[in-house]
Amino acid sequence: MPIIVNLDVMMAKRKISLNELSERVDLTLSNLSILKTGKAKAVRFSTLAAICKALDCQPGDILEYVNDR
Amino acid sequence: MLRKNIFVFTVLKIVAWIIFVGLCIEAGGLIVNFAFSLFKPEFVQNLYQKLDLSEMYSRSKWAFFSMYSFALLISILKAFLFYVVIRLINKLDLLKPFNSFVAAQIKQISYYTLSIGLLSYLARQTAKNLLHRGFEINTLNQFWIDSQAFILMAAVIYIIATIFSKGVEIQSENDLTV
Repeated sequence: MPIIVNLDVMMAKRKISLNELSERVDLTLSNLSILKTGKAKAVRFSTLAAICKALDCQPGDILEYVNDR
Repeated sequence: MLRKNIFVFTVLKIVAWIIFVGLCIEAGGLIVNFAFSLFKPEFVQNLYQKLDLSEMYSRSKWAFFSMYSFALLISILKAFLFYVVIRLINKLDLLKPFNSFVAAQIKQISYYTLSIGLLSYLARQTAKNLLHRGFEINTLNQFWIDSQAFILMAAVIYIIATIFSKGVEIQSENDLTV
């Protein structure tokens, strides 16, 4: 998958735990874990918006495109 | 709606079990008869469901064993088909039906149905050929009279299995959407 999720990097920068983020964005821990480990196949705009709001960042800080050729 | 479905599935489960037991009895009877016909040829005139193939046996053992093998194989495959159907009905969760196990089972059912259909068709053609040579084989027709129905059913089940596989794919994609 050429899209990399840098959620763990942003969480480390903001010094926020997965539990705390889960409470703030109203997502289950398992869903956040799926997103963090890069197993997710799609992300809803509403989820992305909630994460960006909670971490005070832009979508580009969380998602990154890497050409894997 | 769900209660109605549960009721239909319970009835289906019971019917599938009854058919499975019947097919197992038929296949078992034919296997026992086959063993007897190998070691005690005088038993051939009184086979399962009063089949009398003594004339065919005395005229050509090849014809007897080939036709009997067809009947036996078809019966065993039918019994196994219903075993897969029962396994599917028992493990099917109506609230979450789209999973890889169910898709694999439906595909397996389509393969067994096609095998039965093709084998029945082959047996019917062989029986027709033997009929031209003067063999009396009308009593065996009950085993392969529905060959075309099985082939058609296999095609329909295969299409359903393919749609189901796509459903499983969509379901897993939906589960991994955050």
